[in-house]
Amino acid sequence: MRSLFATCLLAVSTLAQTPSATLGLFTGSIDIGASPLKGSAEFDPATGQYKITGSGTDIWGRADQFHFLWREISGDFAVTATAKFLTEGIAHRKAVIMLRKSTDPDSAYVDLALHGDGTPVVQFRNTNGDTTNTVDLVTEGPGVWKLKLLRQGTTVTFWAAKDDAPLRELGHTMSNVGSPVLLGLGVSSHSQTAVNTVLFSGVSIEKLPTPATKE
Amino acid sequence: MNIRPILLTLCAFSAFAQTTHLGLFTGSGDIGAPARAGSTQFDAATGQYRITGSGANIWAKQDQFQFAWREITGNFTVTATMRFLGKGADHRKAGIMLRQSSDTDAAYVDVIMHGNGMPALQWRARQGEDTNAFDLPLEEPGGYRIKLVRTGPKMHMYLAKEGAEPVRIGNTEVTFTGPILVGLAVCAHDANASETVVFSDVSIESAQAPTAAKAP
Repeated sequence: MRSLFATCLLAVSTLAQTPSATLGLFTGSIDIGASPLKGSAEFDPATGQYKITGSGTDIWGRADQFHFLWREISGDFAVTATAKFLTEGIAHRKAVIMLRKSTDPDSAYVDLALHGDGTPVVQFRNTNGDTTNTVDLVTEGPGVWKLKLLRQGTTVTFWAAKDDAPLRELGHTMSNVGSPVLLGLGVSSHSQTAVNTVLFSGVSIEKLPTPATKE
Repeated sequence: MNIRPILLTLCAFSAFAQTTHLGLFTGSGDIGAPARAGSTQFDAATGQYRITGSGANIWAKQDQFQFAWREITGNFTVTATMRFLGKGADHRKAGIMLRQSSDTDAAYVDVIMHGNGMPALQWRARQGEDTNAFDLPLEEPGGYRIKLVRTGPKMHMYLAKEGAEPVRIGNTEVTFTGPILVGLAVCAHDANASETVVFSDVSIESAQAPTAAKAP
């Protein structure tokens, strides 16, 4: 029993800390929700870039369909990524930085999504199986978008910037996705009959010290 | 014999009659029974509403605040200039609210300013659920021009410092059914305090029903 426990601990620690040769900062890649068209994630160690291809109806309502490149993480952290759609498609195709409780299609989550038409959106599903809440921000148009998500306790803060503009804080919300949580990058084509590919570059995950006392 | 239509007519008339006291609104009252009573005064000469509210918060599963309201259906735009008088809790709140009913745990959406100058879009998607909030980057205390536009389930938030034209921030989605209450809300964020907010240049404009598309 003890050795099993130790093995589990080792496995978890390996997942959380060892950079993967094939998936960079992440440890797993999966189609959430079973869209008929398969997705994929490729990491290029030379450039540090991730090319994620995803299909799926949407990340919306009570259940999601998209491709998710993920790792486990706990505590407070900041995630930054620059996203560029490589393929044309539906205006509301999505590239996301997401925190998600599980790989279940109806899992609780919070994300910063970029629509293909250049609209940043903050979305969240508070509990498994609940509907998605959304805050659609102002459409600025397609381009290369830098996105940042900061999780501190239950507060999640979002930044975005189009092309070479400096990162601009959009605002913050509350999330109880907790720890450990799946942190990752996702792509949904907003259609079961299409796939879209997004190039994520400059991806960083910075763990932050947890405050000794919470307010 | 057929007394119901007469009663309805009386009610409608009485609601109309009140408008001389509450301007654009037909009723005011405390939601959620805060210990300290609030009040709404309308000054017909200046068109200003002076609303005093107490209450723990507009948050989580139930709310306590003072609400000046009227019933409305369809799509519309509400605009108001607002300023807190006095000082209080940082997170005292005031703004424009759409609410399914006067129940303390009713579904709602609001565009609010906190006393410390943090704007927010808040909503309770369904009765009895937790409040959702999107807080914008902190501005500073002062006068603000706020606007809420309803187009079906989309609830658009606009904001500017007093004197400027409100700029669109974004929208959320909330599905209300039938007639809803539209109004102005003030909450002290402290059951032992009361806060007063002056609202001016308040307007409620119903959208015209879309005209039929012309044949190509």
